Amino acid sequence: MSERMPLDRLTCVLCPVGCELEVRKTEAGELDVSGNQCDKGVPFAVEEVLRPKRNLATSVPIRGTAARMVSVRLSGPVPREMIFPILAEIAKLRPEAPVRRGQVLVSNVLGTGVDVIATRTTDGVKPPLPQKTGKVEV
Amino acid sequence: MKGPVETCDVAVIGGGPAGLAAALGARRAGAGKVLLLEREKTLGGILNQCVHDGFGLFLYKETISGPEYAERLIEDVVREPIQVETGAMVLDLSPDRVLRINAREGFRLVQARAVVLAMGCRERTRDMIEIPGTRPAGVFTAGLAQNLVNLQNLRIGRETVILGSGDIGLIMARRLAFEGVAVKGVFEIMPWPGGLERNVRQCLMDFGIPLELGATVVEIRGRDRVESVVVAKVDEALAPVAGTERVIPCDTLLLSVGLIPENELSKRAGVELSPLTGGAVVDETLMASVPGVFSCGNVLHIHDVADWASYEGFAAGEMAARHAAGDRAGGATVRVSAGANVKYALPQLVTAGTAGVELSFRVRRPARDVRIEVTGRTSGRVLARRKFPRLLPSELQKIKVQAAIDEDIEVAGHE
Repeated sequence: MSERMPLDRLTCVLCPVGCELEVRKTEAGELDVSGNQCDKGVPFAVEEVLRPKRNLATSVPIRGTAARMVSVRLSGPVPREMIFPILAEIAKLRPEAPVRRGQVLVSNVLGTGVDVIATRTTDGVKPPLPQKTGKVEV
Repeated sequence: MKGPVETCDVAVIGGGPAGLAAALGARRAGAGKVLLLEREKTLGGILNQCVHDGFGLFLYKETISGPEYAERLIEDVVREPIQVETGAMVLDLSPDRVLRINAREGFRLVQARAVVLAMGCRERTRDMIEIPGTRPAGVFTAGLAQNLVNLQNLRIGRETVILGSGDIGLIMARRLAFEGVAVKGVFEIMPWPGGLERNVRQCLMDFGIPLELGATVVEIRGRDRVESVVVAKVDEALAPVAGTERVIPCDTLLLSVGLIPENELSKRAGVELSPLTGGAVVDETLMASVPGVFSCGNVLHIHDVADWASYEGFAAGEMAARHAAGDRAGGATVRVSAGANVKYALPQLVTAGTAGVELSFRVRRPARDVRIEVTGRTSGRVLARRKFPRLLPSELQKIKVQAAIDEDIEVAGHE
């Protein structure tokens, strides 16, 4: 157990117990996790300290439809330090309607292996078959 | 007004996560004509502006964004013969369930056999928390800012302070950081964060945004536009402590200081409201004090997760369909009250003799190793007990009472 200041304090989110974890660096330079009541807390804390991954969501202007914006996110999480470089890529996007939910707008963005995808359908969800009742405009 | 009145089995007011589910629940439970009324041009409610992920973990077993969650529910709705009307605002609801609707084709009346209230909530404003100072431009509720940024592509300011650490405020802190806005700090009057732990970490700590607990904004300064705010520490009674004030230059103040169920229509119908939740007093079928009127989602009580608002919607829709079909259980009711460290428990009424009732509750303050007990108030008998390693005020929780409830009960926490 090192006397050094913890590198990080975090609440484990893997189960409802919510252990308060502390991560320290040992004399040997290894990471030491304390506060965990089970084994799963250790890799969780180490990943959060060494290589935290995040998804990100934003919206971009769209042409050719009544809505001004279409919302987008990544198909999966990326290393946290990629957030701002990816946002800069997304800011260049000017998609044209129609755009469908799940449509890939940038594939393998900045070589991260994840895609930028649209999260809504610009002209709305339409019924698959003609309906007797109802007017839907989404 | 004379002449034949349009009728329906179940009318659902509001097309957000609760209302969409209610319409589906009613239809699946066999309701013939289901009318889904939404005042905006599009279905989905607040989900449309919640572009961040974290939705659907329970309902769809994956984490998706608000718009995706809405579209998936809407796809289910449009597959059913549900009469969906957008741009249709319900102006009035009578105790005998006549809806006055300002619809696209004009004003009309609809007599419903059952009504599901799913109008959602709105945000507390500066006036409701009475922040002193001038009245410049640049003060926004967090949800309004979310709408302006995410849906309308507007820049709301360059340097912002956020008052309140509710989830919308935390999510907007990150959103503004993405847009290059300097977020100077989040100030929370309570000694604990109002939002989920995950959001504190991923929305504030990731971007080096300071969170100051036990502090509030005591003054807004600026003539035409916000120029600065004054923040101060608060004491245990939440009163500002003299001498702790400091001035933070900024051009924008975001408020994330609570949500209020939007119950104007419920009041018109004579629905009894709870001062603890701000929503209807309901029984185990989610029926309010007015027969045939049901409530679900944020208009009933504020939820932390959209999925639970939808689950409540499915249940309310199903119960409304049964009521419309003439299935009226009824009978004497017992009361459910909130005891130690429980802010409220819901439903507030249970038909005597009902078994298997699931109670939703929220704690007043964070606690560890809590035993939540449901106790008969007359007999002192413990009807249900569940241990929680950790409870937070930001999290809505549930406890199921398997036994039949035949006396007034209390839900209380023991540490």
